[in-house]
Amino acid sequence: MKKTVILFVIAALVLIAAIWWIFSGQHVADPAEFINLGVIIILVGFALFMGYKRLTSLKKGQPAEDEMSKKVMLKTSSLSYYISLYVWLAIMYFADRLNYETHTIIGFGLFGMALVFGICWLIFNFRGVVDE
Amino acid sequence: MNNRIKEFRARYNLTQDDLARKVNVRRETIVFLEKNKYNPSLKLAYDIAKVFSMTIEEVFLFEEKE
Repeated sequence: MKKTVILFVIAALVLIAAIWWIFSGQHVADPAEFINLGVIIILVGFALFMGYKRLTSLKKGQPAEDEMSKKVMLKTSSLSYYISLYVWLAIMYFADRLNYETHTIIGFGLFGMALVFGICWLIFNFRGVVDE
Repeated sequence: MNNRIKEFRARYNLTQDDLARKVNVRRETIVFLEKNKYNPSLKLAYDIAKVFSMTIEEVFLFEEKE
């Protein structure tokens, strides 16, 4: 239960900070900021979904996480890390050829990492983990 | 690896939620086990077999690969 509360608190803090950042008016709207916003939305959405899953399990008298959910997370982390290396390699390759600012490129990289993590999680969560 | 969890669960009139609570896992884990999409740890296999008063070999069926 403690972990679930922490998850919701962090998600709320990130969301509040993002909303404050959007309405602060101290920034110029450029593509990099929309990419950063995309990263925030993916991460907060994922955190809220995980928190909801944990809460419904706890309500049913089941553990918030068990051996399968831990294994799914472990597999997701390792595969997404591996793919992220290639994402950054591709970004480094295109960085020399496209004329973007450094923070835009970093934004693309973070967005790519978040997207890869989300896709890997969906694959393992719905396909299952079968170690043969 | 196949298993007979669904069959034994029906025999003991247990829902997936009931079995999940008994072996201290989430319902999703039972769903994935029944669909053969997850291979359990030895401890979970033992706990499930114990709920049905069976041995692991009776609940989980190993198929040797050629």
